[in-house]
Amino acid sequence: MTASALSWSAHARRAPLLLFLVLYTVLTGGPFLWVAIMSVRTTPEIFASPYALPSRFHWEKFVDAWTNSNYGTYFWNSTIVVVSAVALLTIIGAMVAHCLARYRFRGNRLVRFIILSGMILPPQLLILSLFQILLDYHLYNTLSGLVIVYVAGHLAMTVYILEGFFAQIPQDLFDAARMDGYSDFEIFWRITLPIGVPAIFTTVTLNFIILWNEFLYAVVLLTEDDKRTLPLGIMHFMGSHQLDVGMVATGLMIAITPIILVYGFFSETMIKGMTAGAVR
Amino acid sequence: MTATARLSRLFGRRRAPSEVDARRASLGTLVIFLAPALLIYAAFTVYPVLRTFYNSVHTIKPRGVEEFVGLANFDALLHTDLVFWKAVGNTAIFAIVATIADVLGGLLLALCLFSRVPFAKLLRVVWFTPVLMSYVVVGIIWVWIYDYDWGLANAILRWLGLGNFEQSWLGDPRTALWSVMTTHIWKWLGFNMIIFLAALSALPGEVLGAAELDNCGWFAKLVYIIIPMLRPTIVNLLVLSFVGKMMIFDLVWIMTGGGPLWSTETVSTYVYKRAFDWNTFDLGYPSAIAVLWFAIILVFVVVMTRLLRQRDKLEF
Repeated sequence: MTASALSWSAHARRAPLLLFLVLYTVLTGGPFLWVAIMSVRTTPEIFASPYALPSRFHWEKFVDAWTNSNYGTYFWNSTIVVVSAVALLTIIGAMVAHCLARYRFRGNRLVRFIILSGMILPPQLLILSLFQILLDYHLYNTLSGLVIVYVAGHLAMTVYILEGFFAQIPQDLFDAARMDGYSDFEIFWRITLPIGVPAIFTTVTLNFIILWNEFLYAVVLLTEDDKRTLPLGIMHFMGSHQLDVGMVATGLMIAITPIILVYGFFSETMIKGMTAGAVR
Repeated sequence: MTATARLSRLFGRRRAPSEVDARRASLGTLVIFLAPALLIYAAFTVYPVLRTFYNSVHTIKPRGVEEFVGLANFDALLHTDLVFWKAVGNTAIFAIVATIADVLGGLLLALCLFSRVPFAKLLRVVWFTPVLMSYVVVGIIWVWIYDYDWGLANAILRWLGLGNFEQSWLGDPRTALWSVMTTHIWKWLGFNMIIFLAALSALPGEVLGAAELDNCGWFAKLVYIIIPMLRPTIVNLLVLSFVGKMMIFDLVWIMTGGGPLWSTETVSTYVYKRAFDWNTFDLGYPSAIAVLWFAIILVFVVVMTRLLRQRDKLEF
Protein backbone atom coordinates (compact mmCIF):
# COMPACT_ATOMS: atom_id res chain seq x y z
CA MET A 1 0.00 0.00 0.00
CA THR A 2 1.47 3.39 -0.94
CA ALA A 3 1.70 6.28 1.44
CA SER A 4 -0.82 8.34 -0.48
CA ALA A 5 -3.38 5.54 -0.35
CA LEU A 6 -2.86 5.33 3.40
CA SER A 7 -3.47 9.01 3.95
CA TRP A 8 -6.49 8.79 1.65
CA SER A 9 -8.04 6.12 3.82
CA ALA A 10 -7.17 8.16 6.92
CA HIS A 11 -8.97 11.12 5.39
CA ALA A 12 -11.95 8.98 4.47
CA ARG A 13 -12.20 7.82 8.06
CA ARG A 14 -12.25 11.41 9.21
CA ALA A 15 -14.82 12.45 6.60
CA PRO A 16 -17.78 12.45 9.03
CA LEU A 17 -15.78 14.62 11.43
CA LEU A 18 -14.87 17.10 8.69
CA LEU A 19 -18.47 17.17 7.47
CA PHE A 20 -19.60 17.94 11.02
CA LEU A 21 -17.05 20.76 11.30
CA VAL A 22 -18.43 22.37 8.14
CA LEU A 23 -22.06 21.92 9.24
CA TYR A 24 -21.50 23.35 12.71
CA THR A 25 -19.58 26.31 11.30
CA VAL A 26 -22.52 27.07 9.00
CA LEU A 27 -24.91 26.64 11.94
CA THR A 28 -23.05 29.15 14.15
CA GLY A 29 -21.83 31.67 11.57
CA GLY A 30 -24.65 31.34 9.04
CA PRO A 31 -27.43 33.14 10.96
CA PHE A 32 -25.25 36.24 11.41
CA LEU A 33 -24.32 36.22 7.73
CA TRP A 34 -28.02 35.92 6.92
CA VAL A 35 -28.84 38.99 9.05
CA ALA A 36 -25.97 40.91 7.47
CA ILE A 37 -27.37 40.14 4.02
CA MET A 38 -30.94 41.03 5.04
CA SER A 39 -29.77 44.31 6.54
CA VAL A 40 -29.00 45.65 3.05
CA ARG A 41 -32.14 44.26 1.40
CA THR A 42 -35.61 45.79 1.55
CA THR A 43 -38.50 43.98 3.21
CA PRO A 44 -40.39 43.30 -0.09
CA GLU A 45 -37.18 41.77 -1.50
CA ILE A 46 -36.80 39.59 1.60
CA PHE A 47 -40.37 38.35 1.47
CA ALA A 48 -40.02 37.58 -2.25
CA SER A 49 -37.05 35.35 -1.49
CA PRO A 50 -35.76 35.21 2.11
CA TYR A 51 -32.44 33.50 1.41
CA ALA A 52 -31.30 35.25 -1.79
CA LEU A 53 -28.20 37.42 -2.02
CA PRO A 54 -28.75 41.18 -2.34
CA SER A 55 -29.46 42.28 -5.91
CA ARG A 56 -28.52 45.84 -4.96
CA PHE A 57 -26.96 47.02 -1.69
CA HIS A 58 -29.44 49.32 0.05
CA TRP A 59 -26.97 51.13 2.31
CA GLU A 60 -29.49 53.96 2.68
CA LYS A 61 -31.43 51.69 5.07
CA PHE A 62 -28.75 52.32 7.70
CA VAL A 63 -29.20 56.09 7.33
CA ASP A 64 -32.95 55.62 7.53
CA ALA A 65 -32.70 53.46 10.67
CA TRP A 66 -30.24 55.86 12.30
CA THR A 67 -32.32 59.01 11.77
CA ASN A 68 -35.98 58.04 11.27
CA SER A 69 -36.25 54.97 13.49
CA ASN A 70 -34.35 56.47 16.44
CA TYR A 71 -31.50 53.94 16.30
CA GLY A 72 -29.06 56.86 16.48
CA THR A 73 -30.44 57.79 19.92
CA TYR A 74 -30.42 54.18 21.09
CA PHE A 75 -26.84 53.77 19.91
CA TRP A 76 -25.63 56.87 21.79
CA ASN A 77 -27.54 55.91 24.92
CA SER A 78 -25.88 52.49 24.85
CA THR A 79 -22.49 54.06 24.23
CA ILE A 80 -22.84 56.57 27.10
CA VAL A 81 -24.07 53.95 29.56
CA VAL A 82 -21.53 51.29 28.65
CA VAL A 83 -18.50 53.60 28.47
CA SER A 84 -19.26 55.29 31.81
CA ALA A 85 -20.05 52.03 33.55
CA VAL A 86 -16.93 50.30 32.24
CA ALA A 87 -14.72 53.28 33.18
CA LEU A 88 -16.14 53.43 36.72
CA LEU A 89 -15.97 49.66 37.13
CA THR A 90 -12.34 49.60 36.06
CA ILE A 91 -11.21 52.39 38.40
CA ILE A 92 -13.27 51.42 41.44
CA GLY A 93 -12.71 47.71 40.92
CA ALA A 94 -8.96 48.14 40.51
CA MET A 95 -8.78 50.19 43.72
CA VAL A 96 -10.54 47.47 45.70
CA ALA A 97 -8.56 44.68 44.04
CA HIS A 98 -5.28 46.47 44.79
CA CYS A 99 -6.28 47.00 48.39
CA LEU A 100 -7.33 43.38 48.92
CA ALA A 101 -4.34 41.91 47.12
CA ARG A 102 -1.72 44.17 48.67
CA TYR A 103 -2.56 45.15 52.21
CA ARG A 104 -2.96 43.09 55.35
CA PHE A 105 -5.62 44.70 57.46
CA ARG A 106 -8.37 43.75 59.88
CA GLY A 107 -11.51 42.92 57.90
CA ASN A 108 -9.70 42.09 54.67
CA ARG A 109 -11.42 38.73 54.36
CA LEU A 110 -14.79 40.17 55.36
CA VAL A 111 -14.63 42.85 52.65
CA ARG A 112 -13.59 40.22 50.12
CA PHE A 113 -16.43 37.92 51.11
CA ILE A 114 -19.05 40.69 50.98
CA ILE A 115 -18.00 41.94 47.56
CA LEU A 116 -17.44 38.54 45.95
CA SER A 117 -20.75 37.18 47.24
CA GLY A 118 -22.31 39.56 44.72
CA MET A 119 -21.39 37.02 42.03
CA ILE A 120 -24.02 34.51 43.15
CA LEU A 121 -26.94 36.90 43.63
CA PRO A 122 -29.63 36.30 41.00
CA PRO A 123 -30.82 39.53 39.33
CA GLN A 124 -34.43 38.71 40.27
CA LEU A 125 -33.54 39.17 43.92
CA LEU A 126 -32.42 42.74 43.23
CA ILE A 127 -34.48 44.01 40.36
CA LEU A 128 -37.82 44.62 42.11
CA SER A 129 -36.40 46.62 44.98
CA LEU A 130 -33.92 48.41 42.68
CA PHE A 131 -37.00 49.61 40.80
CA GLN A 132 -38.38 51.04 44.06
CA ILE A 133 -35.03 52.45 45.18
CA LEU A 134 -34.33 54.23 41.90
CA LEU A 135 -37.83 55.71 42.08
CA ASP A 136 -37.06 56.96 45.62
CA TYR A 137 -33.74 58.49 44.56
CA HIS A 138 -35.23 60.00 41.37
CA LEU A 139 -32.88 57.87 39.31
CA TYR A 140 -35.63 55.85 37.62
CA ASN A 141 -35.68 56.39 33.85
CA THR A 142 -32.25 58.02 33.88
CA LEU A 143 -29.08 56.77 32.23
CA SER A 144 -27.02 57.58 35.35
CA GLY A 145 -29.28 55.32 37.42
CA LEU A 146 -28.65 52.45 35.03
CA VAL A 147 -24.90 53.14 35.12
CA ILE A 148 -24.79 52.89 38.93
CA VAL A 149 -26.83 49.70 38.90
CA TYR A 150 -24.45 48.21 36.32
CA VAL A 151 -21.42 49.20 38.37
CA ALA A 152 -22.87 47.63 41.52
CA GLY A 153 -23.88 44.48 39.63
CA HIS A 154 -20.55 43.81 37.92
CA LEU A 155 -18.17 44.92 40.65
CA ALA A 156 -17.86 41.40 42.06
CA MET A 157 -16.63 39.80 38.85
CA THR A 158 -14.29 42.70 38.05
CA VAL A 159 -12.69 42.57 41.51
CA TYR A 160 -12.44 38.77 41.30
CA ILE A 161 -10.50 38.83 38.02
CA LEU A 162 -8.30 41.82 38.90
CA GLU A 163 -7.45 40.64 42.40
CA GLY A 164 -6.36 37.25 41.12
CA PHE A 165 -3.92 38.97 38.79
CA PHE A 166 -2.75 41.71 41.16
CA ALA A 167 -1.96 39.16 43.86
CA GLN A 168 0.59 37.54 41.55
CA ILE A 169 2.64 40.72 41.14
CA PRO A 170 5.87 40.09 43.14
CA GLN A 171 5.87 41.76 46.54
CA ASP A 172 9.51 42.82 46.09
CA LEU A 173 8.38 45.46 43.63
CA PHE A 174 6.19 47.06 46.26
CA ASP A 175 8.81 46.81 48.99
CA ALA A 176 11.30 48.53 46.70
CA ALA A 177 8.80 51.24 45.84
CA ARG A 178 8.18 51.83 49.55
CA MET A 179 11.91 52.11 50.14
CA ASP A 180 12.10 54.72 47.40
CA GLY A 181 9.43 56.64 49.27
CA TYR A 182 6.43 56.09 46.99
CA SER A 183 3.11 56.94 48.61
CA ASP A 184 0.29 54.38 48.62
CA PHE A 185 -1.44 56.22 45.86
CA GLU A 186 1.72 56.36 43.73
CA ILE A 187 2.25 52.64 44.23
CA PHE A 188 -1.25 51.98 42.93
CA TRP A 189 -0.92 54.40 40.02
CA ARG A 190 2.65 53.70 38.92
CA ILE A 191 3.11 50.01 39.72
CA THR A 192 -0.13 48.05 40.08
CA LEU A 193 -2.00 49.65 37.19
CA PRO A 194 0.76 49.53 34.55
CA ILE A 195 1.70 45.95 35.41
CA GLY A 196 -1.97 44.95 35.63
CA VAL A 197 -2.79 46.14 32.12
CA PRO A 198 -3.45 42.64 30.69
CA ALA A 199 -5.97 41.86 33.44
CA ILE A 200 -7.55 45.31 33.16
CA PHE A 201 -7.87 44.82 29.42
CA THR A 202 -9.63 41.50 30.06
CA THR A 203 -12.17 43.03 32.42
CA VAL A 204 -12.76 45.99 30.10
CA THR A 205 -13.58 43.82 27.09
CA LEU A 206 -15.63 41.42 29.19
CA ASN A 207 -17.67 44.17 30.86
CA PHE A 208 -18.10 45.95 27.53
CA ILE A 209 -19.65 42.88 25.89
CA ILE A 210 -21.88 41.96 28.82
CA LEU A 211 -23.18 45.50 29.37
CA TRP A 212 -23.61 46.26 25.66
CA ASN A 213 -25.90 43.22 25.53
CA GLU A 214 -27.65 43.73 28.90
CA PHE A 215 -31.43 43.52 28.74
CA LEU A 216 -33.16 42.72 32.07
CA TYR A 217 -32.09 45.73 34.17
CA ALA A 218 -32.54 48.10 31.25
CA VAL A 219 -36.05 46.88 30.47
CA VAL A 220 -37.14 47.37 34.08
CA LEU A 221 -35.36 50.65 34.79
CA LEU A 222 -35.89 52.55 31.50
CA THR A 223 -39.26 53.16 29.88
CA GLU A 224 -38.97 56.45 27.98
CA ASP A 225 -38.20 56.07 24.30
CA ASP A 226 -35.34 58.57 24.21
CA LYS A 227 -33.61 56.80 27.12
CA ARG A 228 -33.68 53.31 25.62
CA THR A 229 -30.44 51.40 25.02
CA LEU A 230 -29.94 49.42 21.81
CA PRO A 231 -31.35 46.06 22.94
CA LEU A 232 -34.50 47.81 24.20
CA GLY A 233 -34.72 49.94 21.08
CA ILE A 234 -34.59 46.90 18.85
CA MET A 235 -37.23 45.10 20.92
CA HIS A 236 -39.43 48.19 20.80
CA PHE A 237 -39.01 48.51 17.04
CA MET A 238 -39.68 44.78 16.60
CA GLY A 239 -42.87 45.16 18.65
CA SER A 240 -44.29 47.98 16.57
CA HIS A 241 -42.96 46.96 13.13
CA GLN A 242 -43.16 43.16 13.37
CA LEU A 243 -43.47 42.73 9.61
CA ASP A 244 -40.72 45.14 8.60
CA VAL A 245 -38.10 42.38 8.72
CA GLY A 246 -35.62 44.32 6.59
CA MET A 247 -35.53 47.27 8.96
CA VAL A 248 -35.26 45.06 12.08
CA ALA A 249 -32.30 43.32 10.43
CA THR A 250 -30.65 46.70 9.84
CA GLY A 251 -31.16 47.52 13.53
CA LEU A 252 -29.67 44.17 14.55
CA MET A 253 -26.64 44.89 12.37
CA ILE A 254 -26.16 48.26 14.13
CA ALA A 255 -26.10 46.43 17.47
CA ILE A 256 -23.84 43.61 16.24
CA THR A 257 -21.22 45.71 14.41
CA PRO A 258 -19.34 47.13 17.44
CA ILE A 259 -19.08 43.65 18.94
CA ILE A 260 -17.86 42.13 15.68
CA LEU A 261 -15.29 44.94 15.34
CA VAL A 262 -13.95 44.48 18.87
CA TYR A 263 -14.06 40.71 18.45
CA GLY A 264 -12.20 40.92 15.13
CA PHE A 265 -9.29 42.73 16.75
CA PHE A 266 -9.25 41.14 20.19
CA SER A 267 -10.77 37.66 19.75
CA GLU A 268 -8.03 36.03 21.85
CA THR A 269 -8.39 38.47 24.76
CA MET A 270 -12.16 38.25 24.70
CA ILE A 271 -12.18 34.46 24.70
CA LYS A 272 -9.70 34.53 27.56
CA GLY A 273 -11.82 37.08 29.40
CA MET A 274 -14.96 35.01 29.09
CA THR A 275 -13.15 31.97 30.46
CA ALA A 276 -11.41 33.87 33.26
CA GLY A 277 -14.59 34.04 35.32
CA ALA A 278 -15.22 30.30 35.15
CA VAL A 279 -11.81 28.64 35.45
CA ARG A 280 -10.03 28.77 38.71
CA MET B 1 -0.88 59.37 63.77
CA THR B 2 -1.71 63.03 63.25
CA ALA B 3 -3.78 64.26 60.35
CA THR B 4 -0.81 65.79 58.57
CA ALA B 5 1.21 62.64 58.98
CA ARG B 6 -1.68 60.71 57.54
CA LEU B 7 -1.84 63.04 54.55
CA SER B 8 1.87 62.82 53.95
CA ARG B 9 1.52 59.06 54.17
CA LEU B 10 -1.00 59.18 51.35
CA PHE B 11 0.48 61.70 49.01
CA GLY B 12 3.94 62.62 50.32
CA ARG B 13 7.26 60.90 49.83
CA ARG B 14 9.00 61.27 53.22
CA ARG B 15 8.26 58.90 56.04
CA ALA B 16 9.80 57.37 59.11
CA PRO B 17 11.71 54.09 58.47
CA SER B 18 9.28 52.11 60.65
CA GLU B 19 6.51 52.78 58.13
CA VAL B 20 8.31 51.10 55.25
CA ASP B 21 6.38 47.80 55.46
CA ALA B 22 4.54 47.72 52.11
CA ARG B 23 1.96 45.26 53.45
CA ARG B 24 0.52 47.87 55.79
CA ALA B 25 -1.56 50.90 55.03
CA SER B 26 -3.07 53.55 57.25
CA LEU B 27 -6.77 53.53 57.90
CA GLY B 28 -7.21 56.65 55.76
CA THR B 29 -5.61 54.98 52.76
CA LEU B 30 -7.78 51.90 53.14
CA VAL B 31 -10.90 54.03 53.39
CA ILE B 32 -10.03 55.98 50.25
CA PHE B 33 -9.38 52.79 48.28
CA LEU B 34 -12.43 50.90 49.50
CA ALA B 35 -15.09 53.55 50.14
CA PRO B 36 -16.42 54.14 46.59
CA ALA B 37 -16.95 50.44 45.96
CA LEU B 38 -18.39 49.70 49.39
CA LEU B 39 -20.80 52.66 49.25
CA ILE B 40 -22.16 51.74 45.80
CA TYR B 41 -22.28 48.10 46.81
CA ALA B 42 -24.14 48.84 50.03
CA ALA B 43 -26.69 51.13 48.38
CA PHE B 44 -27.33 49.17 45.17
CA THR B 45 -26.72 45.54 46.12
CA VAL B 46 -26.92 44.88 49.86
CA TYR B 47 -29.81 47.25 50.53
CA PRO B 48 -31.93 45.99 47.60
CA VAL B 49 -31.43 42.38 48.70
CA LEU B 50 -32.53 43.18 52.25
CA ARG B 51 -35.45 45.19 50.92
CA THR B 52 -36.55 42.26 48.74
CA PHE B 53 -36.60 40.05 51.83
CA TYR B 54 -38.61 42.74 53.62
CA ASN B 55 -40.99 43.06 50.66
CA SER B 56 -41.59 39.33 50.55
CA VAL B 57 -43.56 39.44 53.80
CA HIS B 58 -45.53 42.55 52.83
CA THR B 59 -48.02 43.69 50.25
CA ILE B 60 -46.42 46.61 48.45
CA LYS B 61 -48.71 48.88 46.48
CA PRO B 62 -47.77 52.11 44.64
CA ARG B 63 -47.57 55.39 46.59
CA GLY B 64 -45.83 53.75 49.52
CA VAL B 65 -48.78 51.68 50.70
CA GLU B 66 -47.34 48.71 52.62
CA GLU B 67 -49.12 46.10 54.65
CA PHE B 68 -47.50 43.34 56.69
CA VAL B 69 -48.90 39.96 55.68
CA GLY B 70 -46.45 37.55 57.29
CA LEU B 71 -45.97 34.36 55.32
CA ALA B 72 -49.24 34.73 53.38
CA ASN B 73 -47.39 35.35 50.11
CA PHE B 74 -45.41 32.14 50.48
CA ASP B 75 -48.54 30.26 51.49
CA ALA B 76 -50.43 31.39 48.39
CA LEU B 77 -47.41 30.67 46.25
CA LEU B 78 -46.99 27.10 47.43
CA HIS B 79 -50.64 26.10 47.72
CA THR B 80 -52.83 27.94 45.26
CA ASP B 81 -50.66 29.36 42.47
CA LEU B 82 -50.90 26.95 39.52
CA VAL B 83 -48.97 29.22 37.16
CA PHE B 84 -46.06 29.26 39.58
CA TRP B 85 -45.87 25.47 39.61
CA LYS B 86 -46.11 25.39 35.83
CA ALA B 87 -43.20 27.86 35.74
CA VAL B 88 -41.21 25.75 38.20
CA GLY B 89 -41.75 22.66 36.03
CA ASN B 90 -40.66 24.47 32.88
CA THR B 91 -37.61 25.97 34.55
CA ALA B 92 -36.63 22.57 35.99
CA ILE B 93 -36.89 20.85 32.59
CA PHE B 94 -34.94 23.71 31.03
CA ALA B 95 -32.23 23.70 33.68
CA ILE B 96 -31.70 19.94 33.64
CA VAL B 97 -31.88 19.20 29.91
CA ALA B 98 -30.06 22.30 28.68
CA THR B 99 -27.31 21.99 31.30
CA ILE B 100 -26.52 18.40 30.32
CA ALA B 101 -26.70 19.24 26.60
CA ASP B 102 -24.48 22.30 27.07
CA VAL B 103 -21.75 20.57 29.04
CA LEU B 104 -21.74 17.35 27.01
CA GLY B 105 -21.98 19.19 23.68
CA GLY B 106 -19.28 21.65 24.70
CA LEU B 107 -16.97 18.75 25.59
CA LEU B 108 -17.57 17.03 22.23
CA LEU B 109 -16.98 20.27 20.31
CA ALA B 110 -13.77 20.86 22.25
CA LEU B 111 -12.60 17.31 21.45
CA CYS B 112 -13.32 17.93 17.75
CA LEU B 113 -11.05 20.97 17.73
CA PHE B 114 -8.50 19.25 19.95
CA SER B 115 -8.00 16.36 17.52
CA ARG B 116 -5.88 18.55 15.20
CA VAL B 117 -8.44 19.34 12.55
CA PRO B 118 -7.62 21.87 9.80
CA PHE B 119 -8.42 25.56 10.53
CA ALA B 120 -9.01 24.80 14.24
CA LYS B 121 -8.16 28.38 15.25
CA LEU B 122 -10.61 29.93 12.81
CA LEU B 123 -13.36 27.44 13.69
CA ARG B 124 -12.93 28.23 17.37
CA VAL B 125 -13.46 31.92 16.71
CA VAL B 126 -16.58 31.30 14.58
CA TRP B 127 -18.07 28.76 17.00
CA PHE B 128 -17.66 31.20 19.86
CA THR B 129 -19.49 34.04 18.09
CA PRO B 130 -23.03 33.26 19.41
CA VAL B 131 -21.77 33.60 23.00
CA LEU B 132 -20.94 37.26 22.37
CA MET B 133 -24.26 38.21 20.82
CA SER B 134 -27.01 39.67 22.96
CA TYR B 135 -30.15 37.70 23.73
CA VAL B 136 -32.11 40.28 21.74
CA VAL B 137 -30.05 39.61 18.61
CA VAL B 138 -30.07 35.83 19.07
CA GLY B 139 -33.75 35.77 20.05
CA ILE B 140 -34.97 37.77 17.05
CA ILE B 141 -32.84 35.78 14.59
CA TRP B 142 -34.26 32.52 15.95
CA VAL B 143 -37.83 33.84 15.94
CA TRP B 144 -37.30 34.27 12.20
CA ILE B 145 -35.67 30.85 11.84
CA TYR B 146 -38.72 29.29 13.55
CA ASP B 147 -41.21 31.36 11.49
CA TYR B 148 -43.95 29.16 10.05
CA ASP B 149 -44.11 30.73 6.58
CA TRP B 150 -40.58 31.66 5.63
CA GLY B 151 -38.41 30.42 8.51
CA LEU B 152 -35.29 28.39 7.88
CA ALA B 153 -36.40 25.43 10.04
CA ASN B 154 -39.48 24.71 7.96
CA ALA B 155 -37.65 25.55 4.71
CA ILE B 156 -35.05 22.87 5.46
CA LEU B 157 -37.73 20.32 6.36
CA ARG B 158 -39.52 21.01 3.07
CA TRP B 159 -36.24 20.77 1.17
CA LEU B 160 -35.54 17.40 2.77
CA GLY B 161 -39.01 16.24 1.77
CA LEU B 162 -40.19 16.15 5.38
CA GLY B 163 -42.94 18.72 4.86
CA ASN B 164 -45.21 16.79 7.24
CA PHE B 165 -43.07 17.87 10.16
CA GLU B 166 -43.54 21.56 9.48
CA GLN B 167 -44.46 23.31 12.71
CA SER B 168 -45.31 26.64 14.13
CA TRP B 169 -42.34 25.99 16.41
CA LEU B 170 -42.92 28.80 18.90
CA GLY B 171 -46.69 28.92 18.50
CA ASP B 172 -47.42 25.36 19.56
CA PRO B 173 -47.37 24.67 23.33
CA ARG B 174 -45.88 21.23 22.68
CA THR B 175 -42.77 22.50 20.87
CA ALA B 176 -42.30 26.04 22.20
CA LEU B 177 -40.19 25.18 25.28
CA TRP B 178 -37.93 22.82 23.33
CA SER B 179 -37.47 25.38 20.57
CA VAL B 180 -36.40 28.11 22.99
CA MET B 181 -34.13 25.59 24.69
CA THR B 182 -32.46 24.71 21.37
CA THR B 183 -31.68 28.37 20.80
CA HIS B 184 -30.29 28.71 24.30
CA ILE B 185 -28.04 25.65 23.88
CA TRP B 186 -26.91 26.98 20.49
CA LYS B 187 -25.89 30.26 22.11
CA TRP B 188 -23.93 28.74 25.02
CA LEU B 189 -22.26 25.64 23.52
CA GLY B 190 -19.32 27.75 22.39
CA PHE B 191 -18.69 28.95 25.95
CA ASN B 192 -18.47 25.43 27.35
CA MET B 193 -16.30 24.41 24.42
CA ILE B 194 -13.76 27.16 25.13
CA ILE B 195 -13.47 26.22 28.79
CA PHE B 196 -13.00 22.55 27.93
CA LEU B 197 -10.37 23.45 25.30
CA ALA B 198 -8.42 25.36 27.96
CA ALA B 199 -8.72 22.41 30.35
CA LEU B 200 -7.77 19.86 27.67
CA SER B 201 -4.61 21.68 26.68
CA ALA B 202 -3.61 21.72 30.37
CA LEU B 203 -3.82 17.90 30.57
CA PRO B 204 -0.46 16.07 30.68
CA GLY B 205 0.29 14.82 27.17
CA GLU B 206 1.89 11.54 28.31
CA VAL B 207 -1.37 10.08 29.58
CA LEU B 208 -3.17 10.57 26.28
CA GLY B 209 -0.06 9.28 24.46
CA ALA B 210 -0.02 6.15 26.63
CA ALA B 211 -3.67 5.50 25.81
CA GLU B 212 -2.77 5.84 22.13
CA LEU B 213 -0.09 3.14 22.52
CA ASP B 214 -2.51 0.83 24.31
CA ASN B 215 -4.63 1.11 21.17
CA CYS B 216 -7.47 2.45 23.23
CA GLY B 217 -10.58 3.32 21.20
CA TRP B 218 -11.60 6.97 21.27
CA PHE B 219 -14.80 6.25 23.18
CA ALA B 220 -12.91 4.32 25.88
CA LYS B 221 -10.35 7.10 25.98
CA LEU B 222 -13.14 9.61 26.50
CA VAL B 223 -14.92 7.67 29.25
CA TYR B 224 -11.95 6.27 31.17
CA ILE B 225 -9.31 8.96 30.77
CA ILE B 226 -10.53 12.33 29.55
CA ILE B 227 -13.75 12.68 31.54
CA PRO B 228 -12.22 11.61 34.90
CA MET B 229 -9.29 13.97 34.37
CA LEU B 230 -11.58 16.86 33.48
CA ARG B 231 -13.82 16.23 36.47
CA PRO B 232 -13.18 19.56 38.28
CA THR B 233 -13.91 21.51 35.08
CA ILE B 234 -17.04 19.47 34.44
CA VAL B 235 -18.31 20.08 37.97
CA ASN B 236 -17.69 23.82 37.69
CA LEU B 237 -19.44 24.04 34.35
CA LEU B 238 -22.40 21.95 35.49
CA VAL B 239 -22.97 24.22 38.50
CA LEU B 240 -22.39 27.44 36.54
CA SER B 241 -24.63 26.39 33.68
CA PHE B 242 -27.36 25.07 35.98
CA VAL B 243 -27.49 28.26 38.05
CA GLY B 244 -27.64 30.38 34.90
CA LYS B 245 -30.56 28.38 33.55
CA MET B 246 -32.50 28.46 36.82
CA MET B 247 -32.58 32.25 36.37
CA ILE B 248 -33.32 32.30 32.64
CA PHE B 249 -35.31 35.36 31.61
CA ASP B 250 -34.06 37.29 28.57
CA LEU B 251 -34.32 34.70 25.82
CA VAL B 252 -37.75 33.46 26.89
CA TRP B 253 -39.06 36.98 27.28
CA ILE B 254 -37.83 37.98 23.81
CA MET B 255 -38.90 34.86 21.93
CA THR B 256 -42.26 33.91 23.47
CA GLY B 257 -42.96 36.14 26.47
CA GLY B 258 -43.78 32.95 28.40
CA GLY B 259 -46.55 31.81 26.08
CA PRO B 260 -48.33 30.16 24.43
CA LEU B 261 -50.53 28.99 27.33
CA TRP B 262 -47.69 29.29 29.87
CA SER B 263 -45.81 26.57 27.99
CA THR B 264 -42.53 28.52 28.22
CA GLU B 265 -43.24 30.44 31.44
CA THR B 266 -40.19 30.36 33.70
CA VAL B 267 -39.91 31.49 37.29
CA SER B 268 -38.10 34.67 36.26
CA THR B 269 -40.56 35.69 33.55
CA TYR B 270 -43.37 35.05 36.02
CA VAL B 271 -41.70 37.29 38.62
CA TYR B 272 -41.42 40.04 36.01
CA LYS B 273 -45.02 39.62 34.90
CA ARG B 274 -46.44 39.65 38.41
CA ALA B 275 -44.46 42.79 39.24
CA PHE B 276 -44.90 44.90 36.11
CA ASP B 277 -47.49 43.40 33.74
CA TRP B 278 -50.34 42.20 35.92
CA ASN B 279 -52.55 44.94 37.25
CA THR B 280 -52.26 43.65 40.82
CA PHE B 281 -49.55 46.36 41.24
CA ASP B 282 -48.07 44.40 44.12
CA LEU B 283 -44.31 44.02 44.49
CA GLY B 284 -44.58 41.85 47.61
CA TYR B 285 -45.80 38.65 45.97
CA PRO B 286 -43.16 38.57 43.19
CA SER B 287 -40.51 39.35 45.83
CA ALA B 288 -41.64 36.26 47.71
CA ILE B 289 -41.15 34.21 44.53
CA ALA B 290 -37.66 35.66 44.08
CA VAL B 291 -36.69 34.91 47.69
CA LEU B 292 -38.00 31.35 47.57
CA TRP B 293 -36.28 30.70 44.25
CA PHE B 294 -32.98 32.11 45.51
CA ALA B 295 -33.13 29.77 48.50
CA ILE B 296 -33.77 26.80 46.21
CA ILE B 297 -30.88 27.74 43.90
CA LEU B 298 -28.57 28.11 46.90
CA VAL B 299 -29.52 24.67 48.22
CA PHE B 300 -28.93 23.13 44.78
CA VAL B 301 -25.51 24.75 44.45
CA VAL B 302 -24.41 23.54 47.87
CA VAL B 303 -25.76 20.02 47.32
CA MET B 304 -24.34 19.74 43.80
CA THR B 305 -20.85 20.87 44.77
CA ARG B 306 -20.87 18.65 47.88
CA LEU B 307 -22.06 15.55 46.03
CA LEU B 308 -19.82 15.91 43.01
CA ARG B 309 -16.75 16.90 45.01
CA GLN B 310 -17.37 14.16 47.60
CA ARG B 311 -17.05 11.47 44.97
CA ASP B 312 -13.76 13.06 44.01
CA LYS B 313 -12.45 12.35 47.48
CA LEU B 314 -13.64 8.75 47.48
CA GLU B 315 -12.04 7.94 44.15
CA PHE B 316 -8.56 9.19 44.79
